[in-house]
Amino acid sequence: MVAIVTTRHCFLAVTLGVSLAIAGQAVAAPEIGPLPVLKVNEARAELGKRLFFDKRVSGDVGISCATCHEPENGYANKDALSKGYPGNKHFRNAPGLINTAHKKVWMHDGRIGTNLNDVTREMITEDYIMNMDMRIMQERFKQDPLYVEMFKAAGLGEPSNGGVRKAIPEYLKTLTSRGAPFDKGTMSASAKRGMKLFKGKAGCVACHNGPVFTDGNAYNTGVKENFDVWLDPQRHQAFIAYAAFMGIKNYMNLKRDPGAHLQKHAADGSDMGRFITPSLRELKYTAPYMHNGMSKTLADVVAFYNRGGDNDRNKNARIKPLKLGKTEQQDLVVFLLALSGEPLTGSKHVWLKAYPTEYPVIANWLNVPN
Amino acid sequence: MGSFNKAEQKAPILFLIISVVVTAVATMATVTFAMGDKPPATASKVSLTSMPAAGPTQPQVKSFAKVANPEIPPLAPLGPPPIPADNPMSDAKVALGKLLYFDPRLGGDASISCSTCHEPEQGWSFAEGISRGYPGTVHWRGSQPVLNSAYYNKLFAVGSTPSLESQAPSAARGGVAGNGENDIMEARLRLIPDYVNRFNDVFGEPWPTINNAWKAIAAFERTLVQRDTPLDKYLLGDKTALDDQQLRGKALYEGKARCILCHNGAFTTNEKYYNIGVPRATRWEEDGLAQVTFRFEQYAKGTTEEMYRNIKDDAGLYYRNKNKWSMGKFRVPSLRYTKYTAPFMRQGQFYTLEEVIDFYDRGGFDEEGRTTSFPETKTPLIQKLGLSDEEKEDLLFFIEALSGDEILMDKPKLPPYKPLFSQAELQTAQAAK
Ligand code: HEC
Ligand code: HEC
Ligand code: HEC
Ligand code: HEC
Repeated sequence: MVAIVTTRHCFLAVTLGVSLAIAGQAVAAPEIGPLPVLKVNEARAELGKRLFFDKRVSGDVGISCATCHEPENGYANKDALSKGYPGNKHFRNAPGLINTAHKKVWMHDGRIGTNLNDVTREMITEDYIMNMDMRIMQERFKQDPLYVEMFKAAGLGEPSNGGVRKAIPEYLKTLTSRGAPFDKGTMSASAKRGMKLFKGKAGCVACHNGPVFTDGNAYNTGVKENFDVWLDPQRHQAFIAYAAFMGIKNYMNLKRDPGAHLQKHAADGSDMGRFITPSLRELKYTAPYMHNGMSKTLADVVAFYNRGGDNDRNKNARIKPLKLGKTEQQDLVVFLLALSGEPLTGSKHVWLKAYPTEYPVIANWLNVPN
Repeated sequence: MGSFNKAEQKAPILFLIISVVVTAVATMATVTFAMGDKPPATASKVSLTSMPAAGPTQPQVKSFAKVANPEIPPLAPLGPPPIPADNPMSDAKVALGKLLYFDPRLGGDASISCSTCHEPEQGWSFAEGISRGYPGTVHWRGSQPVLNSAYYNKLFAVGSTPSLESQAPSAARGGVAGNGENDIMEARLRLIPDYVNRFNDVFGEPWPTINNAWKAIAAFERTLVQRDTPLDKYLLGDKTALDDQQLRGKALYEGKARCILCHNGAFTTNEKYYNIGVPRATRWEEDGLAQVTFRFEQYAKGTTEEMYRNIKDDAGLYYRNKNKWSMGKFRVPSLRYTKYTAPFMRQGQFYTLEEVIDFYDRGGFDEEGRTTSFPETKTPLIQKLGLSDEEKEDLLFFIEALSGDEILMDKPKLPPYKPLFSQAELQTAQAAK
């Protein structure tokens, strides 16, 4: 991992993360509420959709974005720790992508704070994610007549890696929650009680706020490590590659996920184990939870908060025992479920048509320009 | 985070960057000319004055070798390969290099190793005209034999890397070859306890590093040599090592057939670059996947946009020095071990040595009269030879005397991964958080 370009984005993420953290303390929590409507360029989104489900986006054509971000699981994955590029596995949970276009900071450690174009590049090029040389990807798509047509229709000229990184984010915009009881005003009494706890006694809204239910800041909430990261060498190798690239000290001996530590590298390690507050929408589909999938169910999550998280000397002061009763805990879960809408699994969001199994020959190759 | 390869390359910016690279590379051009045919005073006329005793006026020269010409080193027995001072050989290093050579974990998706494209049973190369590629791709050149590669000063068909140490990473990392990133490959090595011990033993460093892996592989490659061919034996004094027919072939090689002009010295190559007239590989007209890689290579090699759009053949040395006079020139390969390394030429244009000899006999044309896509740079050293069928056969048998027995090797058993930490260690760390 020697990409100068990516390093730059890390710095951007750092700047952004810091300024948000300060702002977060000064102002009252933004109201939770409906999501704003995003304007979508249909032709580009359609192209992005075809790309999202296309294995030719990965180096050895073994996996697509949807291999890890599955529509039926809210564009997340049932595995606690994500799959990886063949020959590798990942050391974190694949987050759901519904509403990701509404975020300002991405990845569990917040290392990208620019835009989804950069996130897309990271996904495509990272060795243990899709390991794609985008110059090869571009030439693959020039060899697919339907892409040639679709890129043109999307106003992106001939297929190019720049075009891919415009089209996929446009598609991601279409992955926006719809029909959640919370948005429709059809919440049950239990969910309403849960919402009250969420905003009050349980203190959740301090961090999970705004229309996406995240303040975009990183906190240490005391989530236990998932030992599989280290017990499975195929995960550990990706973790080592990541930690080395991020300049984490003593990365060979590291036995915890440093999280947003990479933003400021506090010398005393007091910023170890901070993760970006995730969205709470669409959780119905995206179990298991947390950056490493350590909570299997929402009931587990609520129980976790109720006991004040697990041990970590860096834990945020807000995370402390809540003393919620059984019904209160249930109400909270019911409220969280009321933040999930209809699944986005139809043809509007999923490319259902088959992909060509080979690259057609360009006839008359000698006489047409490349 | 990907390598530079995988980083951002918007098309318009790319071509800007390229123009900078082109200017930078252009300064190398003068140096590069010294490596093969010199540029003509004018592009249309090729001067023969700098060439050894060869050319249309002297087609009958009996033996170039006998014409005392210091520019043509005679055939000679092959000595041991050079060992660079910064990578001394040791048995432990070679043993480690052998394991790594066969280990697919030194590639992007851990499915192909060096040996996949350089198979011992396929002449330490790959028996297709254009090599297989990284999964999902095809290469754009033929895989060259790793055996004897230790003798080259510069590696690859256009000599783009100077040493085996620097060649291995480009092989393991190239998008249509290994497509592996250094950091992930290094991390893998560190989770294989047997490698950790071996690297520590060989290099005295606490952890395996990827650079040391390339060094070990290079050391292993330096053991893959063949120095006991019939020709070597003959030149070392065993006059029975070549039979009469082969001796007639040798005389042709050194004389009428002109092979010695380029395939000379102990390693049977002057390591210069020529356009000898090899025609374009037909696969690019017939195979979509090959067309994908063809364009990728133009892009990756930093050609101009105009060239990217229009080029339809491998421009060879041009990619290194961006000089028109280098179009279609390729490194003279060694002819040792060719008994086992078919097909021949940079994209395997010919399947047999017979075809190669016919090609030379026609003055650089194939059976259908096809020749180079860059006729302006074709070397005048290649001429119609007028060999009889008998002479062709003699020559063939002599070329075969440049190969000894086939060198085979069993794939070693590869050491397994093991977790670096125990459950107990992880629990202790968790408790101490
Ligand atoms: C091999 C599994 C895998 C593949 C394939 C994959 N992802 Fe991801 N994705 C992940 C994981 C794991 C993360 C979290 C990484 C982290 O936090 O370090 C992630 C994070 C993301 C995020 C950030 C989400 C957020 O809210 O922070 C987006 C957006 C995303 N992926 C989109 C894509 C797109 C688009 C593709 C295809 C080009 C893709 N992913 C392919 C596993 C994958
Ligand atoms: C101090 C800020 C903070 C507070 C207060 C807080 N959270 Fe979180 N929450 C986080 C962070 C940070 C994470 C991610 C932790 C991780 O991935 O390890 C998270 C994760 C979650 C998740 C998992 C989401 C997923 O997709 O994996 C749920 C569910 C959740 N919180 C619900 C709640 C509830 C309910 C409350 C109130 C009882 C609450 N949170 C209070 C910061 C907070
Ligand atoms: C996907 C197939 C593939 C893989 C994998 C591969 N190679 Fe190669 N190798 C090739 C091709 C094709 C060439 C010729 C490339 C050229 O000339 O541009 C080549 C050339 C070489 C050469 C140059 C020989 C000469 O005559 O100059 C050496 C040495 C070599 N490879 C070693 C390796 C090593 C070591 C590895 C593993 C780290 C490796 N290769 C992996 C296909 C491959
Ligand atoms: C002007 C220099 C020159 C002369 C003279 C010459 N060759 Fe070559 N030879 C080359 C070059 C350059 C290549 C590589 C061309 C390519 O790959 O496109 C080559 C390739 C070959 C190959 C293929 C080797 C491989 O591993 O693919 C064989 C066999 C060969 N030559 C045999 C001969 C014979 C036999 C003669 C004499 C009849 C001869 N050459 C004369 C320069 C020369």
